[in-house]
Amino acid sequence: MARPVPLPRTQPAAPSPSSSTSATSATTTAGCGCPDGRGGAGSFSRRSLLKALGVGAMTLVATEQVHTQVAFAAPGYTGDVLVVLSLRGGMDGLSAVVPGGDPDYYRLRPTIAVPQSSLLGLDGTFGLHPAMAPLMPLWKAGRLGAVHGVGLPGASRSHFAAMEDMEKAAPGTSLRTGWLDRTLGTRSVNGGAAGTFQAVSMTGSQTPQMLAGPAPELTLKRLEGFALAGPGDSAVEKARWTKAYAALHAEGPPTVAETGRAALAAAATISSTLGSTPAGSGYPDTDLGKSLRDLARMVKAGVGVQAAAVDHGDWDMHSGLGAAGGGWMKDKLTELATALAAFDADLGALMSGVTVLTISEFGRRADENGSGGLDHGHGNLMLALGGGVAGGKVHGKYPGLGASALDNGAVASVTDYRDVIGEVLQKRCGAGSLSEVFPGFSSAGALGLVRSR
Amino acid sequence: MALSPQLDALHDRVRLYAPGGLPVPLDAAGVRHLVRRLTWGESPGLLEEVRRDPQAWFDAQLDPSRVDDSACDGYTARFTKVRRSIAEVRAQDKNGSWDTMSELGWLTTARYAWSRRQLFEVVCDFWSNHLNVTNPSSDVWDSRHDYDAAVIRRHALGSFEEMLVASAKHPAMLRYLDNTSSTKKAPNENYAREVMELHTVGVGAGYGEAGVRAAARVLTGLTVGKDGTYAYDPSRHDTSAASVLGWSTPAHSAADGEAVATSLLRHLARHSATATAVARKLAVRFVSDDPPASLVSRLAGVYTAAGTQVVPVLKALFTSDEFWASAGQKTRRPLEGFIATVRMTGSTPGDAGRGGIDDLYWQTRELGQAPLAWAPPNGYPDVAAAWRSAGGTLSRWNESTKVVNGWWPNKLARLPDKSLLPSPLPTTFGALVDALVLRLLGRPATATERAALLAFTEHGAGDALKSTDQWVGWRLNSVVTTILNSPGHMER
Repeated sequence: MARPVPLPRTQPAAPSPSSSTSATSATTTAGCGCPDGRGGAGSFSRRSLLKALGVGAMTLVATEQVHTQVAFAAPGYTGDVLVVLSLRGGMDGLSAVVPGGDPDYYRLRPTIAVPQSSLLGLDGTFGLHPAMAPLMPLWKAGRLGAVHGVGLPGASRSHFAAMEDMEKAAPGTSLRTGWLDRTLGTRSVNGGAAGTFQAVSMTGSQTPQMLAGPAPELTLKRLEGFALAGPGDSAVEKARWTKAYAALHAEGPPTVAETGRAALAAAATISSTLGSTPAGSGYPDTDLGKSLRDLARMVKAGVGVQAAAVDHGDWDMHSGLGAAGGGWMKDKLTELATALAAFDADLGALMSGVTVLTISEFGRRADENGSGGLDHGHGNLMLALGGGVAGGKVHGKYPGLGASALDNGAVASVTDYRDVIGEVLQKRCGAGSLSEVFPGFSSAGALGLVRSR
Repeated sequence: MALSPQLDALHDRVRLYAPGGLPVPLDAAGVRHLVRRLTWGESPGLLEEVRRDPQAWFDAQLDPSRVDDSACDGYTARFTKVRRSIAEVRAQDKNGSWDTMSELGWLTTARYAWSRRQLFEVVCDFWSNHLNVTNPSSDVWDSRHDYDAAVIRRHALGSFEEMLVASAKHPAMLRYLDNTSSTKKAPNENYAREVMELHTVGVGAGYGEAGVRAAARVLTGLTVGKDGTYAYDPSRHDTSAASVLGWSTPAHSAADGEAVATSLLRHLARHSATATAVARKLAVRFVSDDPPASLVSRLAGVYTAAGTQVVPVLKALFTSDEFWASAGQKTRRPLEGFIATVRMTGSTPGDAGRGGIDDLYWQTRELGQAPLAWAPPNGYPDVAAAWRSAGGTLSRWNESTKVVNGWWPNKLARLPDKSLLPSPLPTTFGALVDALVLRLLGRPATATERAALLAFTEHGAGDALKSTDQWVGWRLNSVVTTILNSPGHMER
């Protein structure tokens, strides 16, 4: 038996601190101490050692040890892949899809408003922030749509309470599960076991509340390097290690044991299936870009993704939001637009079966504060991207920014966010009744944001 | 996984100690429970030290100046940038330099791994998360290390009220949550909201949006001066009357604004909702993810009676029946699992320079829980359900594997591989597996573990073991790795 080959003993030096230095707080991850997604330590790139390990280090021998837990497709599910992109920290929707025709907007934001002259596709009421330029072709083609004034009625302006309430989506109940988990739970897919990749959370070390509950999910940060280190290159050793890890993870607390088994199953599939599916290009070299790139790769490989959670944090702009031409908001929107446009291009024709929904725990105050930023508000923007979207416009009611229209100084919530999600679930994702997904919720009716499949 | 019948029955025992003491004598399971909850993991000799006199060890842990920590002090003395004042950092470093923040990350990793004041380091981690200021983040490049020393470590086993006031007046917190730019003309609500929601009374305490706005106005004027240190600026302070959660101020002079703001902070620290919130959070850290209400209520009472002093609360917690009945109810988070592996192997920093400490820190980033690095203001979550990441699990396995085998960090000083072997060497593979699990997990192997590890070695329990066998030679570390990457290692 061959001795396992040790890992490389030379690792690159730690990333140079000076290269990460930012002179302005506004562009720095969590410089303001704001919610930045679940990967609190996510502002650094992965080290090249793990790149060196590479995907595909697992062999088919290893795969056999865990094959019963691997699903290569989602037999029976014929709906869209639903991608929920969480813009954590409370994104200012007014800065993205700008009410450029509303004089109150300019009155309330003397230093941070986006000038009319720079808005893209201004239709009398709304235009897109110039940083959204990469998405303009999709907006014009009707594949990207928006809803303003969306929220959870009575929602808290606490980041943490609002996120939790929105992701549980069961106010007035004692449910601790998340709405996306319950959505998966309502699907009976040929009576078979859930696939390892049915719900993928590209959120690093943390799993979002919306996926809490009995339906299994796979949480990871990257496909790259998703393989067991230690056994070296020998197929026999890989099989030995994988078998032992699987056996040891047959018991123990579920958060450790089940997660460990899922890791082994996923590593086997990543090795055998995803390794041959190339990654797309054009994504920004950021956590968001890499997450969407890897997610697209899984969709292209047909590993059975039904739903995905992606985090894009650092929207809590209490100070230094910046101007249309440069600053924190412009940088964030540029990254968002570039990443979504790349995702759409990467998936190409497959986008006819994919819907991306953005969500954020709350919008901001209508008026800017003394720090050139925006404090916590309420109603917000949701974006929908996909082949089934009836886009190119803002759907639903725009609440306006007049003094009587505001809710405690903030954009009001006039559309329940469950109406937006519910329409997508019913028209695109094969859902029937929403009573289990959104207990106690009465829909106000579809907005027309998406077309039925 | 049940630990032992003895432990389950501990609360029924006649206690041989004065009130406030541990239920001594402790059996092996009791010692393991105490050590797993109060430390970053077993280091060589620690279980024996605790077993000899649990009460003496416990008392010293609560009074850490009594614990000789010269070895760790020697490691941390290698980091000199963090010993500078804010003024020195600003005078000597390029604006925005990450050097001092990087050192703080390394230093903290080293303390968790090698300090003998283990409970103190656990509690510092707890408060660092409770009053989180993300390290590194650029706003606090010149002050975050001072926040660690002057706020967290200074008050970690002292008074919560003093710690809260110190945090509110520290440039790192003032910058991180924007109070530095809050003015009477346009208050910034960020800090006011989080000091109530996260640091003190909690979101359900009933202050509402009106309370956030009122507190934000009261706290205007607490800011950072041009020299980068805390300053009170009366010209920014809103002097109007205000009331928040049973506290109120009449209209006052700008000169009195700092005292008024401090009075609100002290009121919040002593508020009964804060007592409950802090008590519950400590119980979540040390007892279970959903701790008994009876315990929380009792600890809240101790907190209030002790004038927000931390040590009396911890004493009440660790001597409670609920604590001793909670074995198996907590799961190590990724950082705790990783640091525990480092400690178990007996690795120490290399002789010179950073000695691999910086590499360990970067590994903690890989597994998603670098010390002090959580970005939002609420700190790393401390319930198992928050950590069910397959990617994070794989990273923890892989980084732990590198440490156990000495592949990385390659600058650490290691004990001989065979130091983990029992002496004399067992004569069968079954006895070898049993001894290694007992040593590494601190309890007897389960049937599943025994079978899995024997299969790993392709041997039966009764197969004879020779001292020249590969499984006690070059393959020993692969068995150790497998055990330390098993669910049993993650029991906290």
